[in-house]
Amino acid sequence: MKKLIDFISDKRISVLLIIMLFALGLAYFNGIKFGIDFSGGTRIPIVLEKPVDTVTMDEMVQTIKTRAAVFGLTEVKVRAVGTSEIYVEVPGNNPRLVSDIETLLSKQGVYQGVVDGKEALRGDDIYTGTIGQVSPSQIGSQADWAVSFSVTQKGANKFASVVKGKQDYPLYMFLDRPDAIVIISKKDLFASTSAFVKPVTDEELIKATNDALRLNGADIKLYLLEDFEKYKSSIKPETNRTKAIIAQNSTREVVDYLKAAGFAIEQRPPGELQPVFDSSGSRGQFAVVVREWKAVGLLSSPRLSPEVTSGIPNYGYIISGGAQGSGKQRALDAQANAKNVESILKGGALPVQISLGSTTSIPAPLGAEFLKISAIGAIAALVVISLFVAIRYRTPKIIIPIVFILLSEVTILVAIIGSFTIDLGAMAGIIAAIGVSVDAQILITDELLKKDTAEHTKKLNRAFSIITTNAFVAVVAMLPLLLFSGLVEIIGFATSTILGALLGVLISRPAYGAIVDKLFD
Amino acid sequence: MFLMFIGVYVEIPNFYHGDYRRLAIIPVILLLISIYFIPHIKFGVDFKGGTLISLKTKGAIDIQALEKSLGEAGIEEATVKQFALPIGNEVEIEIEQEEKLVRSEALKTEFFAKVDDVSRLEADLSRFESNATPFTQDEKKTATDAYLTARSGLDKIADQLFGLAELDEKASQQPNTDNLRKLVSDAYRKVNDDYKDRIGEAITRVANYDSISVQAISATLSAKFIEKAVSVVVISAILTAIVVFFVFRTFIPSLAVMIGAAADATIALGAMGLFGIPFTLASFAALVMLIAFSLDTDILLTTRVIKRGEGHAADRAYDSMKTGITMSVTAFIAFSVLFVLSIMTNINTYYEISAVALAGLVGDVFATWGINAVIVLWYAEKVEKSKKEREARVLSTIYK
Repeated sequence: MKKLIDFISDKRISVLLIIMLFALGLAYFNGIKFGIDFSGGTRIPIVLEKPVDTVTMDEMVQTIKTRAAVFGLTEVKVRAVGTSEIYVEVPGNNPRLVSDIETLLSKQGVYQGVVDGKEALRGDDIYTGTIGQVSPSQIGSQADWAVSFSVTQKGANKFASVVKGKQDYPLYMFLDRPDAIVIISKKDLFASTSAFVKPVTDEELIKATNDALRLNGADIKLYLLEDFEKYKSSIKPETNRTKAIIAQNSTREVVDYLKAAGFAIEQRPPGELQPVFDSSGSRGQFAVVVREWKAVGLLSSPRLSPEVTSGIPNYGYIISGGAQGSGKQRALDAQANAKNVESILKGGALPVQISLGSTTSIPAPLGAEFLKISAIGAIAALVVISLFVAIRYRTPKIIIPIVFILLSEVTILVAIIGSFTIDLGAMAGIIAAIGVSVDAQILITDELLKKDTAEHTKKLNRAFSIITTNAFVAVVAMLPLLLFSGLVEIIGFATSTILGALLGVLISRPAYGAIVDKLFD
Repeated sequence: MFLMFIGVYVEIPNFYHGDYRRLAIIPVILLLISIYFIPHIKFGVDFKGGTLISLKTKGAIDIQALEKSLGEAGIEEATVKQFALPIGNEVEIEIEQEEKLVRSEALKTEFFAKVDDVSRLEADLSRFESNATPFTQDEKKTATDAYLTARSGLDKIADQLFGLAELDEKASQQPNTDNLRKLVSDAYRKVNDDYKDRIGEAITRVANYDSISVQAISATLSAKFIEKAVSVVVISAILTAIVVFFVFRTFIPSLAVMIGAAADATIALGAMGLFGIPFTLASFAALVMLIAFSLDTDILLTTRVIKRGEGHAADRAYDSMKTGITMSVTAFIAFSVLFVLSIMTNINTYYEISAVALAGLVGDVFATWGINAVIVLWYAEKVEKSKKEREARVLSTIYK
């Protein structure tokens, strides 16, 4: 017992134990994340034509998410991987979902600008090549950012006549505005909160929302769940593909009723059914407007300035706005706002050319089978290697520490990699690490068992110097794989092998040294 | 490997005593064989482009019928393989990159590189239509000419793509570049969709599958992969060389370490050519890892022989070998497990990594204990000899 306490109180061993506990805790509370190879699902990698900076990457991820949200593809996960790839992942193996996403990514969206319930501007009216940010020096003091564009003659005439006399009206900018939907939402999503600049009533919010949903002939109707009984007899789908968008937590009864009435039902998280309001306007009728509502494709609503509402056609326009924060923060926010508007006008076109990588789908049961077999394999590797070590050294005093360290290394590795994602490559890397991480222990043991006269510490130091060199060289040799390749396909493998090498030298090897040190004394 | 395993227990005599130079014979032969087989390495879809489709089916399917069906759909260059696995039947179809797809991708890229400029010229023209600002006829003519010239160049590219997509459209009939832009996107999509549909139909005609996974790598993508892989190897080699030279600070031992690693990589590559292990991103990653870990044994040997003084250099080399081979055996066990997993599941990532690693580990034994050891021992002896000579010279001067 005293020996055990002695062990644990050794700094090198207690550090290992603490890290192991931490790893187990991480795995327990955070769970271990598996890639679609093991959890099942479909992955569509998007490869960018050239590497981009983080701002552009965020913008691209946002654009894809925004457009996916309008399409109702809310289970879609979009994440940037490195600087030149984006992963789009959907659970399950639904070919329709996959083809929807492919369409979404390869086709441009349709831009519509709506003023007072009439279409004032359309993507076709804009010369795409002319959409661009105005340089800060030309913006003046009124705004933080500005985007300019030119329109066709037809577009100029239409815009001039629609906006005539509509000074201060919002220009609702839609991307892929859905035309055959009704929205059924809870009233409390339209409740006034303290977040508003000035007090507004719930009625004003609902009025503002309805204003944003108007478009002659194709209004999107908003119904409040609280009044369902009142209007339920009058609510009917206009076409056989009219969708009813309703919160996920709605009652079964309502959903069934709508289904029976002939609606296609689309359930969304409640938050998505809530518009983002802007109450900064001071002017009467438009004191509060809907600034953004992704569920209907409404992405921005700048106000019309007096210069454009005179009724005389104009060929060049500028959309400008303010930004939040100060200093560098403000400049970044302005940049992001400008990029957003630019992207909407371009029909959600991505700033960099993309190509779709290879679609991989793994059915969930097969993924589970892969995981089971791989886990058995990893355990088998552990067992066989432990047996080999046992046969090689034949002394429990040596075997037990080696196996103990090996197990703790694997635990820590799995916990760390699992907090990102364990994919096929990472799993291969973990199994490889089982075989490679005992190397250091073997090296130390052989050095200690040498029949020369040198003392323990000297032997240990000699072993450590080789181990440190080995780990250092291995990491240096493999790091380019991680840092310069940007190849998502092998990131998992590279990360786990590099981590395996690092973990060894930083934690396990000193601890093993301490154990053997004590055992030999 | 089994022999190596035995060697750890049965005390084989230290073959580094005596004329150790003969030991290099086997690895050198192995290297020559490897170099012969390297050109035979097959590139996987990752690096050469193309399509790899894997199907999970309930039972075995008629491969010949599938090949015939694909042939009828105009897909000649297809390799079909079938695997009966413990977890079900798997069919793998590898299709060469189709020329049409490569061309359409190139045309699309070229089109989008040019379209914005043409669109700006187009917008310039609207100024002349509006009469908003005064202009001369000359200005109008120059602007119109510039636009028309640029546009006709763009139209040519678009028309070629429409031809590939079998679309009955003429680029010059599109009123503006925005319309053209949409049509070009559609055409590119259509070329790809048609191709996928053709393959899909050909497969469905003969095979009933539970799941399908399509890995399609375009020419652009595979070119990018190659470029990345090359840069990784170059950076990795340079960095490693710097670190190794820094650690040993003498030229020949450092060189011996690097030669050991290079010989190992060569043997692994040779094995890939011989056994038909495809060169893919996974096997590439395995190669880089292999070099990293094969350096371990090289460093172990070189450090012990050069930097230590106790006993005879040959004994130190022999001791290192015992440790080194034990290390290799554990790694060998882990990758064998992975290899067995790959056979059971037909997961390509597992197969490519484990096969390359196993070949490399065997190669490492020969490269380290055959080539690196010989160079290092020769160097150690030379150093010892010159030291003795120096001492002898010093002594003889004293006694003179």
